[in-house]
Amino acid sequence: MQSTQMQALSGKELEYISDSISNEDLLIKQLAATAGTTQNSTVHQICVQQIQSHSHHMSTLIQLLQQHQQYAPTQPQ
Amino acid sequence: MYAQNGSAFMADEDLLTMILDDLKRTVREYTTAATESNCQTVRRVFNDLTMDTLRIQGDLFNQMSQMGFYQTPDKALRQAVDKQIQSAQQTQAKCQQFVQQKTGGAGNYTQAANVPLHQANVHSQNSYYM
Repeated sequence: MQSTQMQALSGKELEYISDSISNEDLLIKQLAATAGTTQNSTVHQICVQQIQSHSHHMSTLIQLLQQHQQYAPTQPQ
Repeated sequence: MYAQNGSAFMADEDLLTMILDDLKRTVREYTTAATESNCQTVRRVFNDLTMDTLRIQGDLFNQMSQMGFYQTPDKALRQAVDKQIQSAQQTQAKCQQFVQQKTGGAGNYTQAANVPLHQANVHSQNSYYM
């Protein structure tokens, strides 16, 4: 097993991370809108729980970007 | 937020179905991202997010099912199951035969002693698998 070595993100990885952040953002907003609209306490509870999970995912993705920030070249290679 | 006539913007069932569909799409995208990652750290994060999103999707599906928001498809008939089993067993037998022909009897999908273990997809900083 290779040791984990941090390296610069590829353009494709950056796009996937960016798209994933957009997906999580949309899910959180949909869940929040549903929580704000519903009159069913179970549905409200489900939405609030799921918002926490997706907010955690979004933070993980942002951390991933930050971890790789210093390895990104400043000039095209 | 309610519409002027006092009814909800959309039914809970419709709103949750839209979220469930987006979760399915998100799982697919995380899986694709994991398979196309070069950096081990990125791949591991996408793996973890795939598994966690699958869990979340499963939880939502179960809860929607319990609330009667999700129509489960009709059960497959015994006749159709029997037919698939027969077909699958034929496929399996032919596949084993093919493997035996090609490997000289090392069939049954066992790892031959002289075959090296599967290598990790990431070998060096310069290798790309995209």
